[in-house]
Parts: sequence; C-alpha cells; structure tokens
Amino acid sequence: MLKIDNMSVKVNGKNILKKINLEINNGEIHALLGPNASGKSSLVYTTMGFPDYNVTGGKIIFNGKDITDLQIEERVKLGMASVFQHPPSIKGLKLSKLLEKISKKNIELKELNNLLEREINVGFSGGERKFSEIVQVISLDPSFVIFDELDAGLDVENLERLTSLIKSELDNKSILLITHRGRILKFLKPDIVHVMIDGKIVCSSKDWKRIWKTIEVYGYEKCKECELRSNRS
Amino acid sequence: MKNVKNANYVQIDHEIQISGEKDVIILSSPEAYKRFRWSREYFKKKPEEGYFIWVKNSINHPLITCISISSKNISQNPINLVIIEKDVKAEIYSICNAVKKNLCGNHVGYSKVIAKENSRLEMRHFHRWGKEDTVNSNLEFFLKKGAELSHNYKCLEVPMKLKMENNTYLEESSSVNFVITVWAKDGEVEMHDSIFLNGRESNGISRVRMIGDKKSRINAYSKIIANDAGTGHLDCMGLLISESSSINAIPELVNRNKDASLTHEASVGKISEEILNYLRSRGLTEDQAIDLIVSGFLGEEEPIAVEGSIVSSKLYM
Repeated sequence: MLKIDNMSVKVNGKNILKKINLEINNGEIHALLGPNASGKSSLVYTTMGFPDYNVTGGKIIFNGKDITDLQIEERVKLGMASVFQHPPSIKGLKLSKLLEKISKKNIELKELNNLLEREINVGFSGGERKFSEIVQVISLDPSFVIFDELDAGLDVENLERLTSLIKSELDNKSILLITHRGRILKFLKPDIVHVMIDGKIVCSSKDWKRIWKTIEVYGYEKCKECELRSNRS
Repeated sequence: MKNVKNANYVQIDHEIQISGEKDVIILSSPEAYKRFRWSREYFKKKPEEGYFIWVKNSINHPLITCISISSKNISQNPINLVIIEKDVKAEIYSICNAVKKNLCGNHVGYSKVIAKENSRLEMRHFHRWGKEDTVNSNLEFFLKKGAELSHNYKCLEVPMKLKMENNTYLEESSSVNFVITVWAKDGEVEMHDSIFLNGRESNGISRVRMIGDKKSRINAYSKIIANDAGTGHLDCMGLLISESSSINAIPELVNRNKDASLTHEASVGKISEEILNYLRSRGLTEDQAIDLIVSGFLGEEEPIAVEGSIVSSKLYM
C-alpha cells in the first residue's frame, strides 16, 4: 500500500523530516505518536504532496508506484486522502457544493444535513469541523487515509462518535493516525504504533498499549532509549 | 426575445412591448409622464424611454423588465420609475443587456424606486454587456417608514466601462439589504453605493463582491451615512484571479448621530494557497478549485419563476 523509503524533507530550507521509513500494508492501521513540533504534520503534508514540502532524499511508493513527484490531486486519484487538523474556512463555498463536485460515494447521514448548506468550516465547532473532514474523505472512497490529530479538541463523546463512523465507513482501509495525545488509540486500536521525535521515527511497535503507557508515565524522551525501539515483532 | 417573452416590459434598442398585470400599472415612462401629472415630481426629467411600474396591490410572482441593445451603435437613455404602494409586497427582476458582444452600445439608465410605508420589495438586477459597450447606471431608492428592500445586483460580464451609482434613502424603521456582485474582465468598473440612514431604527446593509479577472480595474466606493439613530454595515470583498487586475475597495462610514452604529469589513486579495491546496487534496485540479471558489464567492444562482416554472437566471443574462 504505502511505503515511505528513507525520505528526508526540507521546508523553507530547514530539515524537518530525516530518513523516514514507514510501510503500511492493506487494511493496516498505524499510529504515529510524537510531541508537538516533532514533524508529524509535515509527514502528512509531504505524503499528500503539498508544494512547500520538498523531498530531498528517498521516495514515497503507493501501490507500487513512485508518487514522490506527483501533484496532490493525482495522489488523491490514486486513492489517498487526509483529514486535516486545521482545515481552512472557505467563505462562500457550501459543503454541499464541494461534496457534489468530489463525491464518488453517496453518504446518507442525518447529522450531515445541519452542515450541508453552511460555508465550509465557517463558524463550525471543533466537532463539526472534524465531522465535515471525515465526511469529505469518506465521499472520496479512498483506500488509504491519514488522520492528523483527529482527537485534538474533541470531547470523549464526539471522539467515540467519529471513530465509530470511521470504523463503519472506512472499514478495511489502510489508515495512518497522527496523534500526540493518544486518546484515539483505544478507539481505533492500531496494528502498529510509531513514535516520531525531532523529525525521526525513533520507535515502532505492535504493542500500542505498552508504548502509550510508557509515554504517559515517562514522556516522549523515554522512547529514544526504550527497549521496544524498532521492535515490530 | 426568446428568453424574455414573459417579461412585463421589453425594450429592444428603442422598441418596446408591454404586457400588463392585474394590480399593477405598467407603462412606458413617457406615457406615464403624460398620463399622471403627479409622477412628474419623481421623474428627474421628461423621459424619452424607460418603464413606469406602479404596484398597487401585492403580487405573488415577479414582475420582469428587460432592456436590451441588439443593434450597432445604439444609445439608450431609459428613465424608470417604480412605485410600491403602502403595505404592498412585490418582486421585480430587471435585466439590462447587450445581445451581442460587439455592438458598441451606450446605455445610460436612471431608475428611481419609491417604496411606500411598510411595503416590501425584492429586486434582482442583472446586467450583461459586450466588450465595447459603455454603461452608466444610476439608481435611487426612497424607503418610507417601515419599508423593506432587498436589492441584488449582478453583473458577470462587464462592458468596456461601467459606472454605477446607487443611493438609498431610509426613513424611520425601514431597511435595505444590498448585494452587489461584479465579475470584471477586460473592463473598468466604478461603483458608488451610498446608504443614508435618515430615520431612527433604520437599517442598511451593503455587501459588495468583486472579482478582478484579466485586464480589469474595479473601484468600489461604499458609504453609509447615519443622519439618525440607525444601524449600518458595509462588507466589501474582492478576489483577484489575474495578475492584470486591480481592485480598490473604499468603504466609508459617516456617523452624525451618537446613537447610530456603523461597522464595516473589507478584504481584497488573491485566492489563498492554503485553500487551493486544501481543495486539491479533495481531488480537484487547481482550475477546478478556482472555479469552485469563484462560484461560491459569487453566490447562489437565483432561480426566476416565469409562468409557474422555475428557470435559471442565467437564461436572462
């Protein structure tokens, strides 16, 4: 599905991501944990092909195809999508109009009716914003989805509601969850968890519970020397 | 004529055709000037062409006027007068256009609208011109006590030169909601839009939406003058989608009453990269993203009801 091979990234001349290796197979859920400013969101934007994120080394392979130099929309056509942490407000553009343009799949959700005739993200609450993002992504019918800090600014009820929606509508899709709080892990139970610090993946493990417990107790610094580091077995 | 056969007043170059209505008097302006002596105080000068609409009772469908240029080098000078009686509700769709792009026409229009006490008028005004036309449009609205006006002006194809002046005078408890939308391409646009709050609890809102496309220049002067304790808001937004365009938005608030409240917001800029990239991340190409943003910016397309069926306003433009 997605293979990031020894990728380094610069933004405005500054090294942000350093020799990242990540492989997500069909139907797997991976979580990427890390403190603020560790480079997690940069990985999202780079993977999606945003122009300011310059890949200076390595490559991104999606379903066997090198997509390192592909435009954003070309990646989306191949089946990639992302739920952003801070999607912009778009005055004048109603959610219904956008969905009309992009939808490959019909979505019938009662809660959606309240948002359809509103301008995208204008005056949306935190929960509405995330819901709108998820609906847009579902409508694209992707095979791989990145969720950037889905749990940020959401109460437990909303988080539970949205993760149920993800489970029902994006079942069997490959998923990369980006989070620094980790609350979402217990709802979506990742197959593999990674920790990113200072633009590097310093730890990968199947035991997300243990990793998260370590982080909760000792903080992210502990991950640098943890015995689980690079242990994916 | 194809798309305006149901209009109440049609003027092609200088030829007119009028279709009457129950509860409404529709005449040419010269005829009204002759027939109703009282109307003379409202006409700026003796009209040579234009329409007169006097709505005496509420009507449940829109009245439609259409003034078109269809021949070369035509110069039109319509003087229009609209009177809405007390407590009456009315809707008017007004279309002014050139049927071809290269007619070198000149359209100088002057319209006066009197909305009497507690009347409600919804007016939609569509302009569409050729690249070699020049247009000067002057509108005056007089809103009596408790009257409400919603005026939506849209010009998505501007002439070589468009000059527009709108003045709205509000008496006590009357209100106006103006939306002006202009998409300028290969043309110059100058708009002066003033709302005078002359009565207490009057309320004026003006929203100006401008798109600066190739080789265009827009100067938009929007003003609210509070002479009494009313409220007013100006909202000017400009979107530049070409390097060879410019937009000057000049909002002005003049408050002469300590109990009046006036506000404004204005922004002019290009489409943000952040929004473009976001829409591209939904699978749209850059051009598709720009089209979607622009169409959102221009607002919904208003449907027009003619003989019970709904047709797109685009047919009229």
